[in-house]
Amino acid sequence: MMTCQAVAATASAYLDRELPLSRRAAVAWHLRLCPNCRAYLATLKRTIGLARKAPVAAPAPEVEDNLAALFRARQNSAD
Amino acid sequence: MEDEALLLARLRAGEEAAFRTLVRARHGRLLRLAGVFLRSRASAEEVVQDTWIAVITGLDGYAGQAPLAAWINGIVVNKARSRAVRDGRQVSFSDLARPEMAGEALDPERFLPDGHWAERVDPWNALTPEREAGDREVLDGVAQALDALPPAQRAVVVMRDVEGLEPAAICAALEISEANLRVLLHRARVRLRDAAARLVGATN
Repeated sequence: MMTCQAVAATASAYLDRELPLSRRAAVAWHLRLCPNCRAYLATLKRTIGLARKAPVAAPAPEVEDNLAALFRARQNSAD
Repeated sequence: MEDEALLLARLRAGEEAAFRTLVRARHGRLLRLAGVFLRSRASAEEVVQDTWIAVITGLDGYAGQAPLAAWINGIVVNKARSRAVRDGRQVSFSDLARPEMAGEALDPERFLPDGHWAERVDPWNALTPEREAGDREVLDGVAQALDALPPAQRAVVVMRDVEGLEPAAICAALEISEANLRVLLHRARVRLRDAAARLVGATN
């Protein structure tokens, strides 16, 4: 049976479905029996979701206004 | 973001409000993506401005084959790469990656000699869906942890997990192998997870 250390080392590949079938089955079997590894996999997956939601600064108003002006200029030249 | 087809139709009709919505949603993310290739903030800002101009002039030709965000991301990655070459500041990600891939992703001390976890792994019950959606302290902390990653790890996690670029496109842009991409991505996630665990107040 795989150890917790081996499951943790392969956690991203498991989440990304990149493991060969036999290896994937071995991880799935371990997860059924091991609450710690289930927690690790689940929190690693939630981390990816958090990274996706990590906020970035909004553009400064003058930057947004400059870009909007470029957009308007293009529209006017196309008319 | 609102329905993509509708947004695109409004953009093509020249609706400035639609363009401003797009800029507000994407500008900061484009800067982060350009920052993967460019250390200078000023260069990244110029590249993102050029990207918006390419978007404005390319809207009529954009066939909608890729999602709008993916199309714009492709433009900014290309422009940031060429800008880095032009500035003579091209980064070798395979050189950067080498030390970032040394050692174990997870500290061996977190495991007993027989390979079991040394301590219980906290399932983050404290991070409720409401908190995950709206807790600025957690989300801002994750954003900081993302910025603080070593550069090659930051590059792959931003491109793959945050922006959803295809692995083949990421490997081509960073000039790294798919095997290295996987190793770096795992390491980045492990670090981010540990940072997030602290923010959530989890023990392990």
